[in-house]
Amino acid sequence: MEERFKEILAQYTSLTVEEITEETRFRDDMELSSLDFMTLLGEVEDEFDIEFEETDSVGLFTFGDAVKLIRRKMGDE
Amino acid sequence: MSELICEVIRRSCVDFADIPAVKWTEKKEIKERSYRELGENVTLLRKGLLAEGFGGSRIAFIGASSVWWVESYLGVVTGNMTAVPLDIGMPAAELAELIVRSDSTGLFIDAAKKELIPELKSLCPALRQVWVMQGDAEGAESLDALKEKGSSYEGDAEPARDDTAMIIFTSGTTGKSKGAMLTQHNLAENLEAMSFSSKPGVTLLNVLPIHHAFCLVMDWLRGFDKGAVICVNDSMMHMVRNMNLFKPQSMLMVPLMIETLLKRIDAIKEPISPKEAAQRVFGGRLRYIFSGGAHLDDYYLERFKEFDIKILEGYGMSECSPVISANTPLAYKYGSVGKPLPNAEVRISEQGEILVRSSSVMKEYYKMPEETAAALEGGWLHTGDKGYLDEDGFLFINGRIKNLIILSNGENVSPEEMENKLGVYPLIGEVVVIGESNGLTAIVYPDPDAVKAGGLDDEGIRSGIQSCLDEYNKTQPTYRHIVGLRLRETPFEKTASRKIKRDKVLQ
Repeated sequence: MEERFKEILAQYTSLTVEEITEETRFRDDMELSSLDFMTLLGEVEDEFDIEFEETDSVGLFTFGDAVKLIRRKMGDE
Repeated sequence: MSELICEVIRRSCVDFADIPAVKWTEKKEIKERSYRELGENVTLLRKGLLAEGFGGSRIAFIGASSVWWVESYLGVVTGNMTAVPLDIGMPAAELAELIVRSDSTGLFIDAAKKELIPELKSLCPALRQVWVMQGDAEGAESLDALKEKGSSYEGDAEPARDDTAMIIFTSGTTGKSKGAMLTQHNLAENLEAMSFSSKPGVTLLNVLPIHHAFCLVMDWLRGFDKGAVICVNDSMMHMVRNMNLFKPQSMLMVPLMIETLLKRIDAIKEPISPKEAAQRVFGGRLRYIFSGGAHLDDYYLERFKEFDIKILEGYGMSECSPVISANTPLAYKYGSVGKPLPNAEVRISEQGEILVRSSSVMKEYYKMPEETAAALEGGWLHTGDKGYLDEDGFLFINGRIKNLIILSNGENVSPEEMENKLGVYPLIGEVVVIGESNGLTAIVYPDPDAVKAGGLDDEGIRSGIQSCLDEYNKTQPTYRHIVGLRLRETPFEKTASRKIKRDKVLQ
């Protein structure tokens, strides 16, 4: 899952899959706007067949934060 | 003589009776409401409100775009009542303040916010009734119950031309938001003045927040006027999914959305044609995007041509119901915000400010006579924007007189309002909030006494102030979050009256 998520992110940013780490920040390192990030979550939903709540995006700053959330959602399914 | 907004709705529900008026998704299944059904529900809700004695009252709305929000709203504005749409993202205390200041005695609330009902009731003693827009909730009545009351009510109410149909709160430079009162006539005139026509049944996808005048008038009221099928985007996460599902032909957006969609297109790495790319991201039928709320770089207008999509920029403000000028498919010029609408007269003041006189200019700000007098001085609406008209009559915006930050999502925020709240933290001596490309930044001069008292070093000051910002952000909708912090070692330069010279900060 992590690798596929990195591939999706790499499509939207100038970073390569190899450059994305647990600490990579969506806003500062990937230069994603809040809306870029929201639509990205929509793509992640489709990719992993999970559903986010609107409030899930609050407190997600890094790749590692998002991976934890996705894992939790996949576990919930 | 144009119709009143109540007449526009009534006519559309008859003329377009068999066309779907609204489509939305529930658990990925498409639902729809025809104009006939919409009209029936609107009538029942209006009569229900009148049966409950709300004739002549102001009624607040807290909710995201939905068929229930729209039907309730139309129930209010087709009668002699006034709708007060509020931002669902606002904290409860601010919502309560606006409910109180607008003298609202009724409230329609989204089920997603039903936990706010007890707090709002206690903070707003004049609230007589709360209706939850979906299902049931403790302390609120359901829409079905309200419609039931309407079904046995024989009376009705006809609004007058100058009755206030809605009050839209806008950011004020003094730190206090102002309620622009828009009449039945103001709104109907704005619809009529938009010459760009479309055929009944054209599909729109609503992605902007419904409490904004731009969205409410341009997507919803104008859509209903033309017999459009208005599809609801259930979440910003699903904008692309919903574009594929509903295949809109026209959309209203703010620049931030256009930028995001282009990134989405550019993320496609396979060698496919622009037409295929447009099919994949936009659904394949999108031809027009109406952009407003903030300036959009010409780059995007050019890029979207590749996909056979024309972006038409316009300009407006809540006080003007809201459109003042717009590019149209037949009359457009890059970099401009189009020609003033036929019902609007635009003049540039000696200071370069855009002044507007039009049948869509608000009646006044609710219970703010001084602010009203200043905004409508000399019979012209003072927009606070600087601009010029070119030789062909196209309007260009080139600066601001008002001290508002326009974010790329179209939200206007008042820096003073935020600075007043941040100034309450003891560690923040002086602060100026500015808008930068990735959001809002606070420039802070730490209070020397608080620094000394806390024995703070540089790192301690930064983390202390960051904690203040984090705490502040928790009380604000996402778009008003302060995401950047810069510290100053010296106080800000000030005027003789001890006000910070903001222009020096921005240089």
